[in-house]
Amino acid sequence: MSLEIKVPQVGESITEVTLASWVKKNGDYVEMDEIICELESDKATFELNAEAAGVLSIKAEEGDTLEIGQLIAEIDTDSSQNGSGSSSGGDSSESPKEEFGGDSSSEAKPTGEVLEMKIPSVGESITEVTIGSWLKKDGDFVEMDEEIAEIETDKATQEFPAEAQGILRLVASEGDVVEVGAVIAKIEVMEGKPSSNGSSEEKATSEDASAGTQTSESKETYATGHASPAASKILSEKGVSSADVQGTGRDGRITKEDAANAQVKSVAKETQTSRSQVQTPAIPVQPGSRNSNREKMTNLRKTISRRLVAVKNETAMLTTFNEVNMKPIMDIRKKYKESFKEKYEVGLGFMSFFTKAVCVALKEWPSVNGMIDENELVYYDYCDVSIAVSTPKGLVTPVVRNAEGLGFHQIESEIIRLATKARDGKLSIDEMTGGTFTITNGGIFGSMLSTPIINPPQSAILGMHNIVERPMAQNGEVVVLPIMYVALSYDHRIVDGRESVSFLVRVKELLEDPSRLLLEV
Amino acid sequence: MTYDVTIIGSGPGGYIAAVRCAQLGMKTAIIEKYNTLGGTCLNVGCIPSKALLDSSEHYHNAETTFSEHGIELKNLKVNLEQMIRRKSEVVKQTTDGVDYLMKKNKIDVFSGLGSFVDKNTIKVEKEDGEEEIKTDKVIIATGSKPSSLPFIELDKKRVITSTEALELKEVPKHMIIIGGGIIGMELGSVYGRLGSKVSVVEYLDSLIPTMDRTMGKELQKATKKLGFEFYLSHKVTGVENKGKEVIVSAETPKGKTLELKGDYCLVSVGRKPYTEGLGLENIGIETDKQGRIEVNEDLRTKVDNIWAIGDVVKGAMLAHKAEEEGVVVAERIAGQKPHVNYLLIPGVVYTWPEVASVGHTEEALKESGKAYKKGSFPFKASGRARASMDTDGLVKVLADKETDEILGVHICGPRAADMIAEAVVAMEYRASAEDIGRISHAHPTFTESFKEACLAASDNRPLNI
Repeated sequence: MSLEIKVPQVGESITEVTLASWVKKNGDYVEMDEIICELESDKATFELNAEAAGVLSIKAEEGDTLEIGQLIAEIDTDSSQNGSGSSSGGDSSESPKEEFGGDSSSEAKPTGEVLEMKIPSVGESITEVTIGSWLKKDGDFVEMDEEIAEIETDKATQEFPAEAQGILRLVASEGDVVEVGAVIAKIEVMEGKPSSNGSSEEKATSEDASAGTQTSESKETYATGHASPAASKILSEKGVSSADVQGTGRDGRITKEDAANAQVKSVAKETQTSRSQVQTPAIPVQPGSRNSNREKMTNLRKTISRRLVAVKNETAMLTTFNEVNMKPIMDIRKKYKESFKEKYEVGLGFMSFFTKAVCVALKEWPSVNGMIDENELVYYDYCDVSIAVSTPKGLVTPVVRNAEGLGFHQIESEIIRLATKARDGKLSIDEMTGGTFTITNGGIFGSMLSTPIINPPQSAILGMHNIVERPMAQNGEVVVLPIMYVALSYDHRIVDGRESVSFLVRVKELLEDPSRLLLEV
Repeated sequence: MTYDVTIIGSGPGGYIAAVRCAQLGMKTAIIEKYNTLGGTCLNVGCIPSKALLDSSEHYHNAETTFSEHGIELKNLKVNLEQMIRRKSEVVKQTTDGVDYLMKKNKIDVFSGLGSFVDKNTIKVEKEDGEEEIKTDKVIIATGSKPSSLPFIELDKKRVITSTEALELKEVPKHMIIIGGGIIGMELGSVYGRLGSKVSVVEYLDSLIPTMDRTMGKELQKATKKLGFEFYLSHKVTGVENKGKEVIVSAETPKGKTLELKGDYCLVSVGRKPYTEGLGLENIGIETDKQGRIEVNEDLRTKVDNIWAIGDVVKGAMLAHKAEEEGVVVAERIAGQKPHVNYLLIPGVVYTWPEVASVGHTEEALKESGKAYKKGSFPFKASGRARASMDTDGLVKVLADKETDEILGVHICGPRAADMIAEAVVAMEYRASAEDIGRISHAHPTFTESFKEACLAASDNRPLNI
């Protein structure tokens, strides 16, 4: 089969490159990763590597100006078998095990088609994604719809299924930031499934094909990862473990060059070693560990940070506070906990009360539920309440749609459904976008009082806090009541003080006397 | 002025450390007690013994193998005085070479006994007075000197050490050697070839006992042809100088008393670290039971600006081990992180046939319970060895039974000392026996025998036997 080599994405804003020179000639046999030509953009010169081993068929001339994605060459991978592979169809039965592609030993047959796997459109306003991790390795046999990668976007992590079955050829690497529509992998489409042991054979033979004559050198042995004397010294000085270095020497031995190219895993370590190189051992040793650790910011984290700062800069945000006597709600919960759970198979929590109260108040003060869209104010006749959920990867805000029309149990079960998905990183973009108001509960972590930041483009956010027994004056007497402070941060550009304060007072009233929720008074 | 580094002792460890320090940009001084640089190795060890070994080997060949080669000689005789003079000339050329290296690298040389005043001050007692050197760091490389047994009086006339054995005025009629280790076997070979009767008394049951047993056996066979007599498992109980005669008494394995009479007795029972007069007590450094300076993995003493290398610390007493340590310490002082692979420091005996070995001995593998396979190839089967009439000995390769990784290589044969380098390189890269079997070796060479032994070890398929 033949593999198309196209002009790769070389950077933002670069749309075309010039073919500076061919390093290989038409008809040359090239190894995987061998440099085949040099390309020039207006910013730099770079080399193009063969994506597979095979015979090169040149499709563009030196000096040609080529667009990104345009065909540059084809590699006939069948020819990498040193003459034994491509003609295997007829006599394959005689020596099945040595044939390429498992033509006869497995039922899978290459169709010759190579399918490009592109990043799909994952949501409005998302232009680039990060390759989180490859779930399959280069050369693996993948089935249709099998998950091959995890893709991180600003908002979520998504799985990326194979669109055909065949041999996977990775184009992008883990951690790469790629634009929507970019090719991140190719599948050499195959018909039928490999037999039970076919997949490993398939893998082996296809690796053979790509590795060409290097087959015997790529196997793992006891010596894999063994550093040569010079390499070992270099690695010690860099503070790099030989286990973190991919050896290119025979059987994966680490050569001096491998060690010279090895990267220190974290910047902190690097500075540590370079410091110890400059100073000889006389530094007084501090007791205790003093390591620091750097990690790459995930797309999600980057987005969170960018957006939070933007809110601070672009809105007129301030916060109003109030306190809520939680005793009536707690009494109701105590009284109906069992029967509620029995009937709806979901616990009666505080969130349903708050959501219901907020919906009633939002109806009365629509600007709190509205938002600014350039020169227009947008109001909604529905309440899509975003609920802030803390996940290992950061804060997400899935949306309870039309919360104003939901019953208590519906709200509770919807929140549980969304929170579970959020923690598993399975929320879809749709489930996270389009809220009109947000509730965040810092109380679950013990917060007494805070000023939440608005979830843009919304105009207000309600902050719940912990419930503490406090002495309160009631009818001229001091009584101890369970009190929660509540905070409403709002965008003063659209919400005035009267509206925000009245909104929060209304929420307070509804919570302190839940029968009002029923009567809507 | 203050030196960055001062090295005490100019043997192969010390002078190499000095050169490396200077290369790394340190202001370096070196102190040597004797008049010439180079230490034991260059003055009274490796170099002079090899000079005499080569001379005596030529004589021996002329006497025993030349006629077979078709070369006839008359009136062949030994001129020991000239042999010793040539040896001294070789030594002088070599130590002059060290002088040149010190000048070239701008290293200041102080002649005299160096001793610590404190950890940054070293006093040098010179012929014409004292001088004190200030230094930031110190490398102790004072080496070792021949040791003896408590009841033996070394008179250095009849009862001698290796140092005197390199300066004899006559060829002994009967040289009794106490200790069948490397030094005893080498110097015994010199005089054995020149016509001495040689008797070796060894306490253990094997010659060169630190090496693989096969090596001792092979060496014993080969030197027996020279007329050596061996008294293994014999415990020397007394040495008596009777003027022109030395009487050595020993206890036989059966508990009887043996008396050997000769005109010279060479005591070669090992060497001991040399730290006398160094003033270690002034800086709080102590030595262990064997007199060695204790160092950590980085060869640093407990005083943090002082390192020690070579024979004065633990490990094999070998010039090339000291050299490796000298380089490593110099680089560590400069903040680099090299290390010495002690397992792969080869051991060499310059008898003829030579003995050389690297890695684990078969005895050590057995003891550790490691599953191994072995292959050997005798030089009898080597065309190259037949051509030069050097058919004694063999190559023995030990490899991991599972992985085929080479674990030890032991050679007794012609040019073994040079051949072992290939085995060291192979083992540094963790080559398998089959790897060596698949690497082309020029023909005809002695090194083909290593390839054959590897083929034998790997898959029992030597091609030429």
